[in-house]
Amino acid sequence: MTVRRPLVLMLIVSLLTVPGLWPVAPPPPAGAQGTEVWIKATGSGARKLNIAIPEFTVTTVSPGADAGTAGKLLASVAGADLTFSGRFSVVAATGAIPVNNPDALRQSWAEFAAAGAHAGVHGLVALRGDRAEVEMRLYDLTDPDHRMIASKKFELPAAQLRRLAHKVADEVALQFTGELGVADTKIAYVSGPVGAKEIVMADYDGAGSVPVTRNGSINLSPVWSPDARSLAFTSFRQGYPDLYRVFPFERRPEQTLAAFVGINSSPSFSPDGKSLAMTLSVTGNPEIHVLNLATGVMRRLTRHAGIDTEPTWSPTGRQLAFVSDRGGAPHVYVMDAEGANVRQITSGGFHTQPRWSPRGDLIAYTQRAGTHDIWIVDVDGSNPRRLTSGGDNQGASWAPNGRHLAFQSSRLGRWQLFAVLFDGSAPTPLTRGQAESTSPSWSPRLP
Amino acid sequence: MLSRCSHVMLALLLVLGVVLVGCAKRPATTQAAAPSPTGAAATTPGATTAAAQPSSGGGPTSSSGTTSGGTTTTPAPTATPTNRPAPSEFAAVADLKDIHFDFDKYDIRPSDAKTLDGNAGWLKSNPNHLVLIEGHCDERGTNEYNLALGERRAKSTMNYLVSQGVQASRITIISYGEERPVCSQKTEECWAKNRRAHFLVKPR
Repeated sequence: MTVRRPLVLMLIVSLLTVPGLWPVAPPPPAGAQGTEVWIKATGSGARKLNIAIPEFTVTTVSPGADAGTAGKLLASVAGADLTFSGRFSVVAATGAIPVNNPDALRQSWAEFAAAGAHAGVHGLVALRGDRAEVEMRLYDLTDPDHRMIASKKFELPAAQLRRLAHKVADEVALQFTGELGVADTKIAYVSGPVGAKEIVMADYDGAGSVPVTRNGSINLSPVWSPDARSLAFTSFRQGYPDLYRVFPFERRPEQTLAAFVGINSSPSFSPDGKSLAMTLSVTGNPEIHVLNLATGVMRRLTRHAGIDTEPTWSPTGRQLAFVSDRGGAPHVYVMDAEGANVRQITSGGFHTQPRWSPRGDLIAYTQRAGTHDIWIVDVDGSNPRRLTSGGDNQGASWAPNGRHLAFQSSRLGRWQLFAVLFDGSAPTPLTRGQAESTSPSWSPRLP
Repeated sequence: MLSRCSHVMLALLLVLGVVLVGCAKRPATTQAAAPSPTGAAATTPGATTAAAQPSSGGGPTSSSGTTSGGTTTTPAPTATPTNRPAPSEFAAVADLKDIHFDFDKYDIRPSDAKTLDGNAGWLKSNPNHLVLIEGHCDERGTNEYNLALGERRAKSTMNYLVSQGVQASRITIISYGEERPVCSQKTEECWAKNRRAHFLVKPR
C-alpha cells in the first residue's frame, strides 16, 4: 500500500527578508484563556504567519454519505479564509495525510516546515449520515517535535461543510491572534436590477447565495440584527416604502416594523438589539426615529427642516451618526442617543452612508465626487482617508472585527460586492454573479 | 529524521531570524457543536412568534403632525394602514405634466411652477379625482439619501399645489428615490429626466 503524503506545492519566500519575523509573545490578553498572541500587528503590512493546510483526512464515511471531495473542499475553504484575513500565507499542497500514521504525519510536517510553514492544520472529517464532524488539529512546525498546539471539534449538518471550514479558520485565527476570525459570518445584500431588487444572503465570501425575499417588489437596505438571526429592510411590497423584519434561518413570520405615512426606511439595530433606528417622514420631513422593539414606543431624535437620514449606532449605543443636508449638502453628523449634542463630522463634499466601526473609533462613509468612493474618518472628524478607487464604490459594511469592509463596486462592470482591509489594501471580489449585487450588510458572528 | 528536522529548523531560524517563543503548552481539546443557523432551509416549524413586534395601536392618520415631544408614545404602526390608497390604483393622465429638479435640490424652479399652475388648474376642475405625487431622483447619490430626497421633492410639489388651492386631503405622496428611473443612460440629459415629480390620479 502506498502512503499518500501531501505534496508541498508552494514556497512562501516573501518573508525571508523580514528580520525578526515574530515578536516575542506577549502575555495572553484577559479572556483569551490558553491562547498566546503571536500576531499582534493590525494593519495589512503586518507580517504573516505561513500556515500549511493539507487536504483534510476523511476518517469515517457512513453508508450513503458522500466522501467525494470533502477533504479537498474543507482545506481549500479554510485556506481561502485565512488568506482573506490578511494575517496568514497558506502553504498549499495536494494529497491528504493518512489517518493513524504518525510517521507519515511527521514526514509531511517536516516537508512543510522546510517549505517555510510555521504551523500546520490537520483536519479529520467524519461523515455520518446527515451530520458532518471535523476535528481540527493545529501543530507548531517551528518545534522540532511538531508539537500539537490545539485541537477542536465542530459538528454541523452535512450540507454545511463550508461552514465547518469557516469554523476551523476562525479557530486558527483565535489561536494565533487571540480573537476569533470572521469567516463564519453571512453577507446579506440586494440582488437584481433597478426596479426588481430582492434581498439575498450568502457566506461572507459570496458562496452559497440563497433568497431572503421573493415578493417581486423593490427591497432595499438589509441590515443584520446583533444576534445574527434577523434582518430588517425597506420594501415597497405593500406599495409604499415600509420597514420589515425577517428571520432567514427560522420558520417565523415576517414582521412589519414601521408602515407610517411617508418613508419608513434606513434601519439600524442598536448594539443591544432592543431598538431600531430608522428614518420616518410621518411628521412631514425625513427625521431619525428610534423604535423600541419590545414596547413599540417610537422616539423622535432629530428636528430639522432638512433631510435627516441613515442613522448608524456607535458600538456603545450611546451615540448615533447620521446624514443631514442641514449644511446645504449631505454630510455626516453625530448626536447622542437622546438626539442632543449634534455635531458635524464631515464637511466640504457630498457624504452619505455613514457606518460606525465595531471598534468604535472610525466612521466609514461614501463620498461623491463624480463617482463615489468609500472613506473612513476618525469619530472626532479628523484624518479622513479614501479606501477605494476604480469604478464607483458605495455602501460600506464593517466586518464584525472591524478589519474589513464590504462594499458595492462597479469596477468590473455591473455592481458586485468587494471587501477591503480597513487601511484600503487587498481589495477582493466577494460576488461574481450575473445579477447586480448591492448594499451589503456583513453579519455578526453566527450563533 | 530528527536531525534533518533540526537542521531545517536551524536553517530557518538563521535565515528568518525567527524568535518563536512560547507556544501553548498543551493541546487544548474542546468540543463545540454549532446547530444553527442552517442556511436557507428553515428547520424550526412553529417557532416562537414575533415577540419583538410592536403591538398595533392605531396607526398615524395623516402626514401632518403626530409626535411633538422628544420622547413620545407614538403608537406603533399597524401592518395595514387604512389611510394610504394603493399606488397601483392610480393612473397617469395627459393633462398632468411632470416637473423636474436640479441635482440634490427639492425647491420648485420658476418654469416648473408654471407647469404646476397648469396641473393645479386641472385638479381644481376635476375635484372628484385624488392625486398621487411620485418623487424621483437620478442614480447619483446613494439609495437611502435619494429616498429621502424624493420624499422632499414630492412634498415640495404637494405644498405648491396646496398653495394654489388644491385640497391637501386629495393628495398622497410617495418617494421612489432612484429606484424607478425613466431613462437609464449615464448622461446629464438622462439624469435630468429622472429628477422629477410625476402625477397619477384616480376617482374618489
